[in-house]
Amino acid sequence: MSNHDETPENRLRKELPEEVPADTAEPVEASAEQRTELTGRQRLVQGLWPPRVSRAQLIVALLLFGLGFGLAVQVASNSDGDSALRGARQEDLVRILDELDDRTQRLEDEKQGLEKQRDELENSSNQAEEARRQTVEKERQLGILAGTVAAQGPGITMTIDDTKGTVEADMLLDAIQELRAAGAEAIQVNGVRVVAGTYLTDSGNSVSVDGNKINAPYRFKVIGKPQDLEPALNIPGGVVQTLEKEQATVTIERSDKIVVDALRAVKRPDYARSSSQ
Amino acid sequence: MIAVLGLVVGVVAGLLVRPEVPAVVEPYLPIAVVAALDAVFGGLRAMLDGIFDDKVFVVSFLSNVVVAALIVFLGDKLGVGAQLSTGVVVVLGIRIFSNAAAIRRHVFRA
Repeated sequence: MSNHDETPENRLRKELPEEVPADTAEPVEASAEQRTELTGRQRLVQGLWPPRVSRAQLIVALLLFGLGFGLAVQVASNSDGDSALRGARQEDLVRILDELDDRTQRLEDEKQGLEKQRDELENSSNQAEEARRQTVEKERQLGILAGTVAAQGPGITMTIDDTKGTVEADMLLDAIQELRAAGAEAIQVNGVRVVAGTYLTDSGNSVSVDGNKINAPYRFKVIGKPQDLEPALNIPGGVVQTLEKEQATVTIERSDKIVVDALRAVKRPDYARSSSQ
Repeated sequence: MIAVLGLVVGVVAGLLVRPEVPAVVEPYLPIAVVAALDAVFGGLRAMLDGIFDDKVFVVSFLSNVVVAALIVFLGDKLGVGAQLSTGVVVVLGIRIFSNAAAIRRHVFRA
């Protein structure tokens, strides 16, 4: 078997060299080979080694220089960073450009959506912030009226000295009414804040404000416009004259800074409910 | 020998200088290079066959380059540049292979 296998191979090998010259060798070449009696390999070596400067060599060198130059330039430009697009054909470039445009458009849309969302969020948070600020402000203002926060500002201090014990609750109430009518914004009497629900009662020789017994001298600290408050008390037949008729002494001092720091606890009404909202 | 030196010097010069390829010749350069390669292989084979003639080589080299570029140019104008370039490359590739086969038989006798 092995012999049989080998023989065709050997035959092929023997045949090939015979066939090749027959295939490639044209009559001219055959005759040339016979003439010079040189093989191709010998000619190659001859052409290569002793370097001869001949016209043919120089011309071929020039052409090969051009070839090598072009080859290197092409390879270099092809392996540049942006060579992916450089070698692309026009249709491909147009397609790539279209895709990029689409992508840009999509991203632009997305960006606009996100910016809109961001603006909305900012607006809503701004509105919430504004509402919170207003609420705090309102709470402060209402707190002054309700007596839950301390207040300070210009106003007057009225001291009623009652040595005879003749001052009664209704006189003090008249004084408070007069002060309110003159624009008093925060009032405290001997450390008790006067608010909307304040009541005054007589208790023996002295007076109770909201159940807190206070003794003379009664010191009213009032925040309001002093130029309004003092004349309101001093008008003829007014609070001061009525009190002096009862032989109590009244002194009124204007001041740029009155501090009303008596506080009320916040009390949730049991029955009354806000009807708004 | 000087011819081989010319090729080497050309490659080195191309790599060192790195010129910008003008946009006009850019599509034709690759095909021209392949055509020139074909001419060079043909010339090498002719040399091994002992029938090398420098005049024939110069003419075939230049005409190969010009014709290849012309075909690509024409293909671009007709709108079939890509296909025609491929065709040219295939034809030249076949010729290069057959020439390389002849050279191989001369050099290695196989």
